[in-house]
Amino acid sequence: MGNQNQEDWQALFGRFGNAEEADAAAEDVRAAERILNAWPAPQPDAKLVAYINAQMAARQRRKRRLARLSHAMTAAAAVIIVAAIALLGHGPASKPTAPMSYASIIPTSVWESDDVNAEDAELMYFDSEIRRIEAQMEALESGDDDIGPAGDVEEIEMELMQIETEFWKG
Amino acid sequence: MAENAELDRIVEGCKSGDAQAFAQMVDRYAGRCYGYFYRLTGDRDLSDELLSELFIRLVEKIGSYKGGVFESWLFRIASNIFHDYLRGKKRRQKLFDARRAQLQRVSDEPRQSDAKDEMLDRLQVQLNRLDADTRELIMLRYYSQLSFKEIAELRREPIGTALSRLHRGLKKLRELMQG
Repeated sequence: MGNQNQEDWQALFGRFGNAEEADAAAEDVRAAERILNAWPAPQPDAKLVAYINAQMAARQRRKRRLARLSHAMTAAAAVIIVAAIALLGHGPASKPTAPMSYASIIPTSVWESDDVNAEDAELMYFDSEIRRIEAQMEALESGDDDIGPAGDVEEIEMELMQIETEFWKG
Repeated sequence: MAENAELDRIVEGCKSGDAQAFAQMVDRYAGRCYGYFYRLTGDRDLSDELLSELFIRLVEKIGSYKGGVFESWLFRIASNIFHDYLRGKKRRQKLFDARRAQLQRVSDEPRQSDAKDEMLDRLQVQLNRLDADTRELIMLRYYSQLSFKEIAELRREPIGTALSRLHRGLKKLRELMQG
C-alpha cells in the first residue's frame, strides 16, 4: 500500500532532537514502512463487500422508516393532546374527566418489523381516524348544536382512548 | 483537490441516504479499514465483523460528520470499534479463564495448539510482539494516511509523545523482522 501522505519525518523528528538523531529516526520509520509495504494485509473479499452494502442499505431503510413513524406519531400525539385539552374545556364541570396517559413505550415489533406495507396500512388507518376526530372536534368547538353536550363528548373520549390503545398495541 | 471534491460529493450523498454513495464509500475505504482491523487482530473472521460494524456505524453517524478530515472521523470510529471489541474480549477472557481452570481440575489432557497461529504471516507474528497501543498507533498511521499531527489529535496526545512511541515501535518492528 503506497503512502499518499508523505510526511517530512526529518522535520518532524528535528523538532524534538538534533539533525543527526532526526535523520536516524526518519530512516528507522522509512525502513519500517518499507517492511509494512512488503507485507500487505489481505483485502476484504467480494462477498463481504456485498454483504456490507446490503447491511448498509437495510439500515438506511430502517432509519427512513423510523423517521416516518416518529413523524406520524408526533402528529398523532399533537392531535390527541389538542383533543384532550378541548375535551377538558367542553366536558361537564361536575364530572371529572378520566386521566389519559399519552406517554408509552413503542412495541418492539413495530420498530423491528420489516413489513413496510402493513405499517403503511396501519398508518393510513390511524391517520384517517385522527382526521375524523379532528373534524368532530372542530364541530364541537364551533358550537354545532347537532352534537349533544355530554354524551358525544364521552363518545369521542372513548374513541380516542380506543385508538390510543390500538396504536400502541401495534 | 478533485479528490477532496469527490469525497465531499460522496459524503453528501451518504448524508442524503443515497445507496450508491454508500457503496462508493465502501469501495474507497473498505481495503484500508480492513487492513487496519486485520493487523490489529490477526483474524480474518473478526476483521470481517469489525469492518461490517464500522460501515453500519457510518450509516448511523454520517449525519454527525460536520467537516474536517474525513479519514480522521472514520478512523476514530474504527478505533472506538476496536477498543469496544477489546473490552468485550477482556470480559470473555475472564469467563474463559474461569471455565478453563474449572476444566483443568477435571481433566489433565494437554490442550491442542491454536491452529490459527500457524496461519499468521510473519509480519503479523512480529506485530503481535509489540504492545497493543504501539501496534494500534503504527496501524493508524499506516492505514489512515493521516498526517502525524492529525493522528496525535485523534489520539488526544502530544505529538512528541506519539512520535516517540511510533519511532520506538517501528524501530523494534524493523529489528524483529530483520532478526
